[in-house]
Amino acid sequence: MADEPVQGKGNDPTDATQWHEVKKGETLSKIAERYYGDPGMYTTIFEANRDRLKDPNLIRIGQKLRIP
Amino acid sequence: MKKILSIAVALLFALSLGACSQAKGPAEAAIKAAEDALNAGKADAMKYIPDQVKAAEDALKAAKDAFAKGDYAAATAAATSASAKVKDLAAAAAAKKAELTKAWGEQSELLPNMIAAIKSRVDVLSKSKKLPANLDKEKFEGAKNGLAEIDKTWGEASSAFKEGGLADALAKAKSVKEKAVEIMTTLGMTVPEAAKG
Repeated sequence: MADEPVQGKGNDPTDATQWHEVKKGETLSKIAERYYGDPGMYTTIFEANRDRLKDPNLIRIGQKLRIP
Repeated sequence: MKKILSIAVALLFALSLGACSQAKGPAEAAIKAAEDALNAGKADAMKYIPDQVKAAEDALKAAKDAFAKGDYAAATAAATSASAKVKDLAAAAAAKKAELTKAWGEQSELLPNMIAAIKSRVDVLSKSKKLPANLDKEKFEGAKNGLAEIDKTWGEASSAFKEGGLADALAKAKSVKEKAVEIMTTLGMTVPEAAKG
């Protein structure tokens, strides 16, 4: 299924970090709603990805985001 | 003539007694050697290969039983067999220990990662105003209880490992992994490759 969470970025089979690959039309709020049921929790995802996101409104298709 | 016959019988008896005592010594020594060797490595071997230890003990018991019945040839043969089994114990125990240690190493890399990921998700979901689709309150409570359970069991597994109880530690780790996979699935999380299968 295209909407499945993605496996960890690295090759470490013991890595349990949760990732999401951004699809067309998605926003952090939509992603937060999907994983947490609450769009308002987008800040949690933003904070967990501060190393790759400067602005919560600017995410790219194909970008991999950590989902705490 | 009668006197000669008596002497011959007495001589034969003495010879047979001599032969018997000649066989008794080696049998006794073989049993002692097997028993000493078994006692020297038994404690460590019992942790990893209890079935093989029991086989060696059974062989030694057979030797002692034969010795008690005066069958010294059988006693020597059984003691020799016991010694061979005891000789294999050390190598087999070391191999099993290495195998279990490797398995523990893999689990001790994987399971803390899984527990940390579950904790993180449970923490976030606890702050969320709603729950995601496919996760109701009852399932979420079950996941939280499961997390507390695996956290505790992982602590017990780690303690068992530190105390040298590798087999016990691995059995506990296996139950942690199974439960962690179940919780991650319930929470809609991706299960790490190493936890699959």
